[in-house]
Amino acid sequence: MLNCQNICDGVSECLVKAGSSYRPDQLEAFSAAIEKETHPNARWALERLLENAQAANKNHSPLCDDTGIPHLFAEIGDEIVLPAAWLTAIHAGVAQGLRTLPGRPMAVQGNDIERVEQSKGLYDDPGEILPVPVVCKPVPGSQLSVTVLLQGGGPEIRAKTHRVFHKRSIDNVLGQSAEWMAEEVRNLGCTPAILAIGVGRSHAEASIRMLEAMSTGDLRKQSEWEQKITAIVNAEKAGALGLGGDASALGTFLNIGPLRASGIRVVCARPCCCVEPRRSTVAFSSNGSMALG
Amino acid sequence: MSEDETVRRSIQLQIPLQDSDISKLKVGDHIEVSGAILCGRDAVLPKLALLLESGNGDSIPVPLVGALIFHTAVSPAGIGPTTSNKLDIEGSIPTLSKAGVKIHLGKGSLGAETVTSLKAENSVFAITPPITALFAEKMLSQRVVMYPEEGMEALYEVEVKGLPAIVAIAHGETIY
Repeated sequence: MLNCQNICDGVSECLVKAGSSYRPDQLEAFSAAIEKETHPNARWALERLLENAQAANKNHSPLCDDTGIPHLFAEIGDEIVLPAAWLTAIHAGVAQGLRTLPGRPMAVQGNDIERVEQSKGLYDDPGEILPVPVVCKPVPGSQLSVTVLLQGGGPEIRAKTHRVFHKRSIDNVLGQSAEWMAEEVRNLGCTPAILAIGVGRSHAEASIRMLEAMSTGDLRKQSEWEQKITAIVNAEKAGALGLGGDASALGTFLNIGPLRASGIRVVCARPCCCVEPRRSTVAFSSNGSMALG
Repeated sequence: MSEDETVRRSIQLQIPLQDSDISKLKVGDHIEVSGAILCGRDAVLPKLALLLESGNGDSIPVPLVGALIFHTAVSPAGIGPTTSNKLDIEGSIPTLSKAGVKIHLGKGSLGAETVTSLKAENSVFAITPPITALFAEKMLSQRVVMYPEEGMEALYEVEVKGLPAIVAIAHGETIY
């Protein structure tokens, strides 16, 4: 039977995998970008990033020293019976994973004011980095699957959530998003980026849609608009590390949610950096078996 | 020299850096740095700048003349560049350059005023990818030199061998 220790250990393993490896679609995209890159310095940067990913994967060590803030999605099958305290077990798994990776000890100590002002120092224990509240979603079936995303600080400087007057045109909404991304990718530093965009009815929903795009996107399966947005950003020629060249963005992950009758759409756009999206998924069955993907 | 040959030619630099080392650097050059570099970021660089601006630079227990400051935390997770155009970091670059820091190492573009201040002090800005797993092989030792209360954001001295970077801003020229 599935128990809390299974969940804790599985989430821990999942977090370490998210923080120390590229997915197959990322590896393919980097190899293709290196092949096509015409700017020698940009190609050097792309080659080092791929080499770094291979070393991190081999050693199960962090891809980047900013090991990120954990964001989690839980998809709960409508036929699974979960043990009591399963959500607590997910949190325990995050802490265990951060201690194993190891995560960067960057949780700020103190009360509200002290935390904002960072005046009481940091916890030494990376396990003190609390995950953002877990997003839960019902799905058919008998599995619990948990996706871990590790969100670095650089892209948060460049991300934006804003309303767009759509004027009944997708070009207005996504075209404007692409322009934001083109401007921000120039200053990101850690390129090539993957552009994550969520469209929703509220700022909170647009942010969750953006995260969902990161948790499900595949660089080998790009829609027409995902390809268009990537092309607009790449036309700026910021290139890897901002050195110039062809690979400013490797692709786009777009998620459009249910929308409301209104003249506006809310868009959340985040240029994920060259080690992101750092994600992994673990699926649990009622009998306690686990599959790490 | 072809562009590919330029990429292959890495200029070897040793801490402490000399003015002559910096004068010969050009935007796009590949460098590899060895020796004791300083590591600091948002929390400590403004504190160092404030000490220098208030005439208390003598209390800094490591030499800044000829130094390289890597904009990074130092933690069990390793090292890697943070965004240099954050206010706390970029704002400290002119004062630290005036105090003798020769290479500021990080990532992201810097503003026109910073480009000018670097030129005035014969200092440069270099960038490096976030290749933490590879950097681990370049780190020989590390120690906290100031502000231990800042944890991973303390000022560290890290002994490195062959730390790779590309010159992004030098002598008023920039890749951005």
